[in-house]
Amino acid sequence: MIQLSNVTAKYPGGEGIELVSLTVEPGEFVYLVGPSGAGKSSVLKVIYRDIIPQSGHVVVGGFNSLTFKKKQIPYLRRKLGIIFQDFKLLMDRNVFENVAFTLRVTHTRGVEIKRKVLRVLADVGLSHKRLKMPYQLSGGEQQRVAIARALVNEPIVLLADEPTGNLDPEAAEEIMQLIEKINSKGTAILMATHDFRLVRAQRRKVIKIEKGMTRS
Amino acid sequence: MSSGFLYSIGEGLRGLRRAKFSTFVSIFTIFISLAVIGLFVVFIFNVNWIMTQIKSRMELEIFIDNSFTKEQIDTLRSQIEEVAGIESVRYVSKEEAAEVFRNEVGRDIFEILDDNPLPPSFQVKLRPEVQTSSRAENISDQLANFDGVDEVLYRRDILVILERYFRLFLIISLGIGLVLAIGSIFLIYNTIKLIILSRRSVIEIMKLVGATRRFIRRPFIVEGVIQGIVGGTLAALFFSLLFQILKTEIPELIVVTQAVYPILIILGALLGLIGSMFALRKFLKY
Repeated sequence: MIQLSNVTAKYPGGEGIELVSLTVEPGEFVYLVGPSGAGKSSVLKVIYRDIIPQSGHVVVGGFNSLTFKKKQIPYLRRKLGIIFQDFKLLMDRNVFENVAFTLRVTHTRGVEIKRKVLRVLADVGLSHKRLKMPYQLSGGEQQRVAIARALVNEPIVLLADEPTGNLDPEAAEEIMQLIEKINSKGTAILMATHDFRLVRAQRRKVIKIEKGMTRS
Repeated sequence: MSSGFLYSIGEGLRGLRRAKFSTFVSIFTIFISLAVIGLFVVFIFNVNWIMTQIKSRMELEIFIDNSFTKEQIDTLRSQIEEVAGIESVRYVSKEEAAEVFRNEVGRDIFEILDDNPLPPSFQVKLRPEVQTSSRAENISDQLANFDGVDEVLYRRDILVILERYFRLFLIISLGIGLVLAIGSIFLIYNTIKLIILSRRSVIEIMKLVGATRRFIRRPFIVEGVIQGIVGGTLAALFFSLLFQILKTEIPELIVVTQAVYPILIILGALLGLIGSMFALRKFLKY
């Protein structure tokens, strides 16, 4: 489903990733672990095509880096759900509108938007806060909104870039449980973290990354 | 109308509300620019109208050989009437010329001279399309070559001066209009730039969740065009008010056609469109 083979993607400053290979199968939960600045975010960016690899081969969903065109970026991203450490919510819109945003930009009909958003808000346990503004929510709740927004389009994989980085341990634990619940329902997860304590080893694939290179 | 398009309009209005001050400045600039451009157009129309009036009163005077007989004069007349660009030909006999002399000088020609030396003449009016210095000269040369024509006179100098000043005036007006139009485009560009910068995070999230390039850009285009339309409408209102006042003050003012109102609004929209396209090209590379 996701396959990176010997991918090199460097920024002009020399940072980035070199000869990285990894695969994520449908329904799989994959940890991408390594210290800060190791290149975890770069791997995710290569997947959602925020950076273009200089060499190697990337396959995501039906998209192949060898034949990929810039115009296809929006359609690639509609197949992915992405969450970040800093949530990236729209501060001037309420919870419902933040989640609905994904559907509005992809031209979903109004009735459909309401149905899908309410369902996904129920999944993350925020139905009762759908009219609150982001600044009225705790960090953990804001990340739940971001997760709901990522899931509302039913992505093939949830890409999580340090999703608990800004949260206290209790909220972090809740988010981890939520992500596991999502995975148990069949959505594949690729989670980048520097926090080894979050890695729950049983039957989970763990990919280590250091200085831009994957280590087995 | 698709939900995407309605969304773009909603987002566009939202953006304008956020960048209130710069929106106000660009609308005001478009209004001023279009008003000034419009004033020049009205002025040019009126000056042109006055020029046409002056030109239409201008005549060529063809003096005929004093020895020509009535028949010869008739033949000459029909020759002149066949020249392209001639609107009318009026014969002025020797007697009539003496009458004109008396009216203009105040004394009878026969008091000064024994004989009437004034030759008969034709007064020729030109069609509007040949009322230019070069075409008039052309016709005058043609007429001068006819048998029995002593001299052809007309006020060529007036035509030349009118034409020269009108051209100069037109060039200056166009220059000022162009500078104002570029100024408006720049201010819209600036407003859209500010809106784009203030909405960096929204744009980033739009890209992340899979919005297409067109979908991201459209609200900004809507914003530019709305500013242009509002500025253009203000200019149109300004003109309708101005014309109403002028009509009572100077009734002989020729009012430019009603088409000026929609043209101002369309011109405003166009300025807005160009300004926002430039800003998007520079600040929204996606």
